[in-house]
Amino acid sequence: MASSGSGSAGSADAATARKHTKRPKYSKFTQQELPACKPILTPRAVISSFLIVSVFFIPIGVACLLASNDVVEIIDRYDSDCIPENFKNNKVGYIQSSIDKTCNRTLNVTKHMKSPIYVYYELDNFYQNHRRYVKSRNDDQLRDPKKGDSTEFCKPEDLSGGRAIVPCGLIAWSLFNDTYSFSRENNMLAVNKKGISWKSDREHKFGKDVFPKNFQNSSLIGGARLNESIPLSEQEDLIVWMRTAALPTFRKLYGRIEVDLNAGDQIHVTLKNYYNTYSFNGKKMLVLSTTTWLGGKNNFLGIAYLSVGGLCFFLAMAFTIIYFIKPRQLGDPSYLSWNRSPGGQ
Amino acid sequence: MSGWERVRTSSSSSSRSPHGMGSNAFRELPNRIPSSRTIQLGRVQPQAPGHRTVFCNDRDANLPVRFKGNSISTTKYNVFTFLPKALFEQFRRVANLYFLTISILSTTPISPVSPITNVAPLSLVLLISLMKEAFEDSKRFQNDLAVNNNLIDVLQDQKWVSMPWKRVQVGDVIRVKQDGFFPADLLCLASTNPDGVCYIETSNLDGETNLKIRKALEKTWDYLTPEKASEFKGEVQCEQPNNSLYTFTGNLIFQKQTLPLSPNQLLLRGCSLRNTEYVVGVVIFTGQETKVMMNTMNVPSKRSTLERKLDKLILALFATLFVMCLLGAIGSGIFVSNKYFYLRPNAGDEGSGQFNPGNRLLVITLTMFTLITLYSSIIPISLYVSIEMIKFIQCTQFINKDLRMYHSETNTPALARTSNLNEELGQVEYIFSDKTGTLTRNLMEFFKCSIGGEIYGNGITEIERGLAERNGIKIQENRSANVVQEKGFNFDDARLMRGAWRNEPNPDSCKEFFRCLAICHTVLPEGDESPEKIRYQAASPDEAALVIAAKNFGFFFYRRTPTSIYVRESHVEKMGKIQDVSYEILNVLEFNSTRKRQSVVCRHPDGRLVLYCKGADSVIYERLADGYNDIKKVTRNHLERFGSSGLRTLCLAYKELPPDLYESWNEKFIHAKSSLRDREKKLDEVAELVENGLVLIGCTAIEDKLQEGVPTTIETLQRAGIKIWVLTGDKVETAINIAYACNLINNEMKQFVISSETDVIREAEERGDQVEIAHVIKEEVKRELKNCLEEAQSCLSSLSGPKLALVIDGKCLMYALDPSLRVMLLNLSLNCHAVVCCRVSPLQKAQVTSLVKKGARKITLSIGDGANDVSMIQAAHVGVGISGLEGMQAVMASDFAIAQFRYLADLLLVHGRWSYLRICKVVTYFFYKNLTFTLIQFWFTFQTGFSGQRFYDDWFQSLYNVIFTALPVIMVGLFDKDVSASLSVKYPELYMEGIRNVFFKWRVVAIWAFFSVYQSLILYYFVSTASLTAKNSAGLTFGVWDVSTLAFTCVVITVNLRFLMICNSITKWHIISVGGSILSWFIFAFIYCAIIGKGNTYFVIYDLMSTIYFYLSIIFVPVVALFGDFVYQGIQRWFFPYDYQIVQETHRHEVEGTSRARLLEIENQLTPAEARSYAISQLPREISKHTGFAFDSPGYESFFASQLGVYAPQKAWDVARRASAKTKPKVHRKNDS
Repeated sequence: MASSGSGSAGSADAATARKHTKRPKYSKFTQQELPACKPILTPRAVISSFLIVSVFFIPIGVACLLASNDVVEIIDRYDSDCIPENFKNNKVGYIQSSIDKTCNRTLNVTKHMKSPIYVYYELDNFYQNHRRYVKSRNDDQLRDPKKGDSTEFCKPEDLSGGRAIVPCGLIAWSLFNDTYSFSRENNMLAVNKKGISWKSDREHKFGKDVFPKNFQNSSLIGGARLNESIPLSEQEDLIVWMRTAALPTFRKLYGRIEVDLNAGDQIHVTLKNYYNTYSFNGKKMLVLSTTTWLGGKNNFLGIAYLSVGGLCFFLAMAFTIIYFIKPRQLGDPSYLSWNRSPGGQ
Repeated sequence: MSGWERVRTSSSSSSRSPHGMGSNAFRELPNRIPSSRTIQLGRVQPQAPGHRTVFCNDRDANLPVRFKGNSISTTKYNVFTFLPKALFEQFRRVANLYFLTISILSTTPISPVSPITNVAPLSLVLLISLMKEAFEDSKRFQNDLAVNNNLIDVLQDQKWVSMPWKRVQVGDVIRVKQDGFFPADLLCLASTNPDGVCYIETSNLDGETNLKIRKALEKTWDYLTPEKASEFKGEVQCEQPNNSLYTFTGNLIFQKQTLPLSPNQLLLRGCSLRNTEYVVGVVIFTGQETKVMMNTMNVPSKRSTLERKLDKLILALFATLFVMCLLGAIGSGIFVSNKYFYLRPNAGDEGSGQFNPGNRLLVITLTMFTLITLYSSIIPISLYVSIEMIKFIQCTQFINKDLRMYHSETNTPALARTSNLNEELGQVEYIFSDKTGTLTRNLMEFFKCSIGGEIYGNGITEIERGLAERNGIKIQENRSANVVQEKGFNFDDARLMRGAWRNEPNPDSCKEFFRCLAICHTVLPEGDESPEKIRYQAASPDEAALVIAAKNFGFFFYRRTPTSIYVRESHVEKMGKIQDVSYEILNVLEFNSTRKRQSVVCRHPDGRLVLYCKGADSVIYERLADGYNDIKKVTRNHLERFGSSGLRTLCLAYKELPPDLYESWNEKFIHAKSSLRDREKKLDEVAELVENGLVLIGCTAIEDKLQEGVPTTIETLQRAGIKIWVLTGDKVETAINIAYACNLINNEMKQFVISSETDVIREAEERGDQVEIAHVIKEEVKRELKNCLEEAQSCLSSLSGPKLALVIDGKCLMYALDPSLRVMLLNLSLNCHAVVCCRVSPLQKAQVTSLVKKGARKITLSIGDGANDVSMIQAAHVGVGISGLEGMQAVMASDFAIAQFRYLADLLLVHGRWSYLRICKVVTYFFYKNLTFTLIQFWFTFQTGFSGQRFYDDWFQSLYNVIFTALPVIMVGLFDKDVSASLSVKYPELYMEGIRNVFFKWRVVAIWAFFSVYQSLILYYFVSTASLTAKNSAGLTFGVWDVSTLAFTCVVITVNLRFLMICNSITKWHIISVGGSILSWFIFAFIYCAIIGKGNTYFVIYDLMSTIYFYLSIIFVPVVALFGDFVYQGIQRWFFPYDYQIVQETHRHEVEGTSRARLLEIENQLTPAEARSYAISQLPREISKHTGFAFDSPGYESFFASQLGVYAPQKAWDVARRASAKTKPKVHRKNDS
């Protein structure tokens, strides 16, 4: 009170009485009369929005399903089959031993596969998204040759004999090292391993003049070794591996087969089953897949679109029927609570 | 007290040299020591708590005491204390403290997120809060600066020197010019007006716009010129600074005389000088010690009920958070295992402890903390700051600027004094209203009178008209054509007008009656001494009405001198003869609230000494002479009749005084008058000696007009489900009648009356035993309450029972509020539609309010205009003060101030309801968006081996609340309108949704939570499930950051679209904010992914956007996520519509036509009519406090309050009266002679 009192005293404006009026100025804002549209969720609006959604979703769903159906996918789980009989009960022992890990698999092509055919390996129960795992890398080191010694976050795979490991960290250390080679009727099928990573990774995250150093030097070897004469930006397996997956089941691109495969073809796969997924009961799968505009085989999207579109259509119909059976007149005052129960409370 | 004796007896040390400004002070100092000052050898002794001594015109003499300077500071902080103090204030909020803790936690390695995630939003929130504080404080500072640097003339070296206010010191002699403000509390020494009189306006102090008179002591009248003033050497001994605006005791020791000082000589800071060229005064209190500054009261901050419920919601969120963390932590304890060799869980490096299966308990504990930091976003940090911002804008832009609540006559817009309670206005269930000044206009018009047992006046009050209409009688009003219409006079009876009273049966009574009206008052005439042009300055409007009445009856009071009243009496002896008669006023026995009467002793020109007295019937009847029983009885009847018509009555009486008796009494009076201690009490006692044996002349009846629109407003509010209680000091009958007139009670209602005016109680009272009276009343009240309650319950149980109304008077209420009966009273009153409490004290008003507030846990609102409503206003959830006319006390204590009772409808039904609706939406939406966001994170935790890996990028998460979803929610807080303002008032029943708290029940929160879970599941699982296969035609797959960025995009879109679904009205700002929010996310992502984040999210958005899958997802996911809400909303609206939805539909085709039309007429310019009414309102007016003459007596109230030990604030009119009473000079002269 005092402050305002003496405040106005202080300003003591000699304004005219007319100007002295405290009448608020009119504006649409202060009078809360901004023009506005007032959408009302009438039954008709509800029904029509359902219809609109179904009209849009069903075609998209169909298109997605068609695209997905165009994709030919061959999946071969080999982790248990590639264990010799005598090691069936000691898979971990087998994988850690130095026995030859070569394993031969045969894939049957059931449908014509147009090139390029993408070769993936799929791992299961592998927590690439684990907090300890995800952060165990150093982007500076990967990108910048001058920062080869920065191994922050990389523990426990940061140093080897006191020298910095490049690339450091658990991700690189546990690099997947199964290898696959394919042949059809004794003709080798070349696997193109160029361009299997995202361009952004290749060009910006992994340096052209950063070379592996001290990698997999310690006693404990987590996975693949790297050729120290090839810069990281060309080590595409590493680049692919290091784009950590979101879920414990994931696919990673291994390479491309750039010839068509015909229905009925038999593909022989010679693989080296090096990678240890047996410790944690992880599955390993080899996947050959074509793609469409939508990507790989993925019925989920199409089904989702279709079912939501269908549901909306169904609801639209249901509401229409209810609308006719039990119409609710808009703005019927008898719906007002004080009219429903006279006397208010 | 002994100090005072010494003060009075000590001789003044005014023999100092006249030019004692400078170096001679030290020389003089020893002289003064033995005098009244108690300084010993240069050491300053702390002043006795009782008084302070001020040496006028002598800065050096005042130096040792170190009076405070005159600069004021109302700021909360200064440059150095700002940061610590303001931050401390901020961290007193739990949410902020929580985020501080989380931020600290997130700097440790156990945190999955970088500190930025929590620090960024916290600092942003703090920054905004601090900026707001700084802004407000800087405004205060600038205000202070402007005030402190005002210039004022200070006497220095016999010259007026202009200097800023802040350099004024105690003891300075200063000059204030016309229309200037007083820089400090001054003792008035001299004025350019004759008689040392000056006029001041106190509107800054108490809101009263009428001029008050202050008068310098006669001895100091001459010190007007600088030369003369510099010779003034006096010593003021006065009370220590205090906050009582209307009291002041002190002495001026001057020329070896001790002159008593009173508030009459005090010019308070904050007031301004009017109608006076300039005054000269001595500074007594400065700066923070001035009365006005001491009065700065901190409004106790109230929190709204909704906010308290919000705290519970936050608590529930904490609980949810805890459960989520616990689940995750246990999961991690189970998950950790050496078999995941690639995690190297036993590598022994720092940070691996959390994943070492060797110590699972440690794993669980650490993960717990990890998850708390991870899920911290479940607590919406920006919620409080957003709500604060919204409410602030609602107050300053909407409530304060609402033209519908602007009263042009008094030039008063509505004022929200606190921004905490906007939504509380939307949930009010009980209104406690003061009557006078709130429901009634406090515009007093002389309406009827009773003289010598005869009723005069043909008017019909609104109450009588209402009564007649209720009884089906149509009243034709045929007013005589030549009726005198004047403000304050609405009397029509040819028998009294134009001298016709001489032909009445009792012309002598009439004559005395009119004389009494013309003489016995403290009104000041102003302006031309002609009946048409004269204006009366009265402390209360009914006093002015009485004088105006006398004028119209031919007793024109036109001049007042300190000793006499001049009355132009017409038709006294002979028709047409006009005679100026002067009555010598010997004594004025002033009105106060305990006396409830006022007397004047005057000497007629023929030498007769007559005492005229007017006052409340109860006090007058006690003091009447024996005999005249007929007229007493008849007049008593008339009084009751007037009372039941809602009129305010006043008894007039007179008494002839024998000269010798008078002389002996007058001595006592003078003695009492000059006493310093308990002056008031002594005066009252002396007055009692002479005010007895009076002869009753008659009584007056004044109409107290209803405020504009009161009945309709009350009806509207009642339809809105609000129960209105009227708490008044009136008599039972008057109160009931006002209640009828206001539409509060009608004949369909069943009335319960619990009154102390029953035979049983009266008998007990006659016996006079206090203990017995108390016992009897208590039993009686108990019995009555029980009966009423039973009856009420039977009424309620029957289906179409009548509505109930309760009338209870203050005395009964005192007992009914007793803890043993309180429950019964509460039960009864809660079942009543309307409650009228009469004869209640301010304390009881507050008690009743808190009875309902605490006992029934309902939201209460008190509205009042006067100082006696302050306690009630502070006790209620929401206090509303009526601003404009009356004093400011109620407004200063209130949370909202409006000019008229009828604006309450707008305030509650429009602003309150909207605010409630908006805040509910803001809160629930905040809750929803953060829960959804965090739950996605929670689902992800399950698939990361409970490691606490974050799903979102740090920056995304930290900006989610403060940028990507911040703006729309503010839009809904500002612009959402379910139905237009006019419909809100047209369908007041809509308000019941707020009373029932429909929009912020736990059920509502649960529904939001349910859909939040649903949406988060859709969002997370859809986006993540599809991540397995290749996502573009080049066969490339997504990594975790691709998936999370996609999910984040979907969340931002979904949440923003969900926002559109809660809006009832969509303005362009909604569209802009929603579109802007989504766009801002993309823009941010583009920039961030390309430039800033060379880490995980580098280029992610571009990679994502190169796939078709991205587009298919961001179309599909929001649609499916919102599908559930949409179906729910559709079904809810279709089958279980809210009332507002029906109203929306009913009026769906209407453009806001009514308001548009109104818009056109409201322009920024004043219309001629408004300009005129404004101009009129600018004139000095007879506006003031209502008096306690009649039944609405504050005296009654303060009587109760004092009994209950409550200090009743003194009313302003007491001062006004004292100010205008002109007895002082007379006393002095008598003393002198």
